[in-house]
Amino acid sequence: MNEYDEEWEVQINALLDGELSPKGAEKLKADALGDGDLAAAIISAYQLQKAMENIHVERAPDSLRKKLKAIPRRKQPAPAFRLFQPRWAMVLAAIPLTLIVVSLMRPDTPPASEIAQAREEMAIAFAYLDKAGVMTGREIESTVGRTMANAVTGSINRVIKSQHLSSKEKKV
Amino acid sequence: MKQSVMKKWVTGLFCTLLALPVIAQEDELKDLPGYVDFGDLSATYGEPKITINLGGTMLGFVGMMSSAKSPETSKLISKLKGIRVQIYETDENLEAASQQYSKVKGDLKSSGWEPIVQVNEDDEQVLVYMKMEAGHMEGMTVMAVDGEEAVFVNIIGQLNPAELGKVMESFDVDVDLDLD
Repeated sequence: MNEYDEEWEVQINALLDGELSPKGAEKLKADALGDGDLAAAIISAYQLQKAMENIHVERAPDSLRKKLKAIPRRKQPAPAFRLFQPRWAMVLAAIPLTLIVVSLMRPDTPPASEIAQAREEMAIAFAYLDKAGVMTGREIESTVGRTMANAVTGSINRVIKSQHLSSKEKKV
Repeated sequence: MKQSVMKKWVTGLFCTLLALPVIAQEDELKDLPGYVDFGDLSATYGEPKITINLGGTMLGFVGMMSSAKSPETSKLISKLKGIRVQIYETDENLEAASQQYSKVKGDLKSSGWEPIVQVNEDDEQVLVYMKMEAGHMEGMTVMAVDGEEAVFVNIIGQLNPAELGKVMESFDVDVDLDLD
């Protein structure tokens, strides 16, 4: 393609896009009347444009469009270290916060009120242990008492029965 | 895109850092052989009347504070690693508490806890279990369920009940428990 052809191509594209001035359009048409190749080129370009218009282009899904939009148009040169870039600002902000969190995690002495509260809670826990001990102690006492009582009353009953029987036998 | 990933990463890091003390305290007790999971009865009885969760660090401070007044108490506390108490008001509704009592009792049996005392009355159940490892006490569990309340106590560490009786007076805290 020589320079002459390239100029025609630019003008043909401008004509089809409606961007060619009326004067330029008239001149191109006039040139085409005297130049079969130019006329054929204009017709071919027009037919191609029409054919392109008839092609149904399916709309890409929104998610894909968003992703495509997010891709930078040109590859940016690798930025030099800049302190106020968002990522570094976040890292810098993270440092004092991390220090605060770490200092909170250190087992510093809690306030006296917290220790007094813990002491009271411990006393409650021990009191419940004591209560359970008393309850089980009572149960043991009553069980042992019942067993002892049963043993005693049982043996007394047995003695009474045997005496009763022996007195009957004597009478007989 | 990179910035968004970075933001997520930093947020995740902060959340993890903030949750660490709580997780660490819970894990500190959970990993100990004397720890017992009592479950949660709040769905039936509402929030517990009393919830106590004392870890080793806080017990250490209480022990230090007690050392001047009562060396016996301080000595007793120094052997403890944790104290956990959950008490629910049962209001004569014993079903859920009794089920939980039985479940925990089963768990204790299957994990090598030894029964010390058990009372099984119709309206009252009490048990004391102890966990021993290599001749040392690792924990004690007391559960008591009656028409008034369901009591779950887990002592992690070593506790001599005879010493407990001696130091109770030193606490000087008015705890009114109905023993009738």
